[in-house]
Amino acid sequence: MNLIAQTVADGLVLGGIYALAAVGFSLIFGVLHVINLSHGIIVLMGAYLALIFSETLHIDPLLTMPLVMASLFAVGYVYQRFLIQYAVDSSAFGSILLTFGVALMLHNIMIWVFSPDMKNITPTYAFTSIKLGPIVLDAVRVSCLVASLVLLSCLAGLLKFSPLGRVIRATAQQTLAARLCGVNVRHVYALTFAVSAAFAGAAGIVIGIILPFSPADEATWTLNAFVVVVLGGVGSPAGALIGGLLLGVVSTLTAQYIGPSFPNVTMFLLLVLLLLVRPQGLLGNAFAPSR
Amino acid sequence: MSQRPALFVAIILAAAVVLAALPLVLPPFYVRVGQLMIYSAGLAVAWTILGGFAGYASFGNAAFIGVGAFTAGLVEERFASLPTPLLLPLGLVVGGFACAVLSAAVAYPILRLRGTFFAIAMLGVCHVCAELNNNLDVLQGSLGLNFPSITPAGWDPATFFYELYLVAGVIVFLIAWQIQRSRFGAGLLSIREDEDTARMLGVPTERYKRIAFVVSAVLTGLLGVIYAHSLGYITTDSVYRDDTNLNLIVYSLLGGLGTLFGPVIGAFMLVFITQVVLARLLDFHLFATGLLLVVLVLAAPGGVLGFVKSWRLKRRYAARVPAE
Repeated sequence: MNLIAQTVADGLVLGGIYALAAVGFSLIFGVLHVINLSHGIIVLMGAYLALIFSETLHIDPLLTMPLVMASLFAVGYVYQRFLIQYAVDSSAFGSILLTFGVALMLHNIMIWVFSPDMKNITPTYAFTSIKLGPIVLDAVRVSCLVASLVLLSCLAGLLKFSPLGRVIRATAQQTLAARLCGVNVRHVYALTFAVSAAFAGAAGIVIGIILPFSPADEATWTLNAFVVVVLGGVGSPAGALIGGLLLGVVSTLTAQYIGPSFPNVTMFLLLVLLLLVRPQGLLGNAFAPSR
Repeated sequence: MSQRPALFVAIILAAAVVLAALPLVLPPFYVRVGQLMIYSAGLAVAWTILGGFAGYASFGNAAFIGVGAFTAGLVEERFASLPTPLLLPLGLVVGGFACAVLSAAVAYPILRLRGTFFAIAMLGVCHVCAELNNNLDVLQGSLGLNFPSITPAGWDPATFFYELYLVAGVIVFLIAWQIQRSRFGAGLLSIREDEDTARMLGVPTERYKRIAFVVSAVLTGLLGVIYAHSLGYITTDSVYRDDTNLNLIVYSLLGGLGTLFGPVIGAFMLVFITQVVLARLLDFHLFATGLLLVVLVLAAPGGVLGFVKSWRLKRRYAARVPAE
């Protein structure tokens, strides 16, 4: 019983981080209809930036979040406005290939700059843990989970209540109508991409604190984001949260009870099954024709 | 070309004869590059039967390479006492059959998905096959599987496999060509352009998609069987490769999506660039491939054939309407 509870708790913590890592991908998919295959590399950029900032400024890695998010916001805006937009205009497959190409290039650059070795960010409270009855949780993981939840709620609030969020939602629902109402669609696309890159970077910090990372991880994070988004539904933070938690719990349960090498098998079986039963995802909303 | 099928076949066979004679003059390194080129072109043409003609871009065709290779290897191991010339045909039959069964089984659920969702679901199929193959001990995925040498006496192995790939490649190409010019091919094209309308007009879209999927899978599997023999020893990682999954799409996009010659041109170009031009720049490899993709998307979204076509259209237009 304790083992199950502990496994589920670990899965939920992991799931919260999956959710944060996927929410940006989901936003781009929902609003721009672009599959951003460079998402994983942006997550890793967040992790490496946090590593650099926390070492040079001697502050807690979680405190570097505003800096990292601001720089990736800028990068995301420029990337969408001056590169991806052209690919979206030119062909249906263009954006997928372009983002993949960019991911390969950045992957290579990261290997040159940071070496292909595993790195990790170690905060000062790395070895303390919290006991909740029979369940043991590391302080690191709890703080990361809290950070994830706070960030996800912030994004949900931003989308729901702020003027920017309203414009983004309008563009996602009916691009033409939004344009007729005076929305500068390309600007909104670029802003959406920027927000999503900022959140991917924040996720990168959290991931960097919890797990060791190397440039080769980018594919895993892109793929995870895709699975989370398909499970939970495109375009909403709540969908990403549900999908992420589901994925986290399923993969820890599989690793514990079936075998440590099977999480991917169950993950993809679950994905294919869900695509067949409910292609719009668990919390799928009607905007964005997902098929 | 489509009006004179006999001439077309003659040209293709003549080109094949020229290619077949090349190992006599080429140095060994280029024979190996040629092997890889023809193998990749064959895979790309097999991919294009579903991905190019019907518009269902699969991102997991390496699943069929792996399943074909491993079934063939396991069965050949069991029947190792057979005379050597019979082993490859045996492997081809079981490998192809296994791919047919697998693809027919997954076709029903998977082909209900469209676009990106189909592509990623196929990636899922590939990963599931690879992990099962790796983790179930009976299938020897992580241990590795040895293949008997099938090169006849007096042949150089590299040349032998070059010729074998060439025969297989020409067969795949002619099958794809026959499909493209048939009523079935027209049906696939209508699915690519507008599936719902095609269905409404009486095209049996479900059946056509399923047949194209199985044909594409079987041809991919057969090439996989030959590939495994040319390697001599395979593990899960050497056949279920994600770079294969990706390259198959890139070949078509580079050459021209939906055309018959596009994938061949794309495969030849990309293999030549990565194996010969960039051979000495291993640190630079990912970057160069990425840059190539980015430039390709921005400069020539229709691939090489699309580029040539639009250039010719422009020239014809310019000739008719003289500048004022």
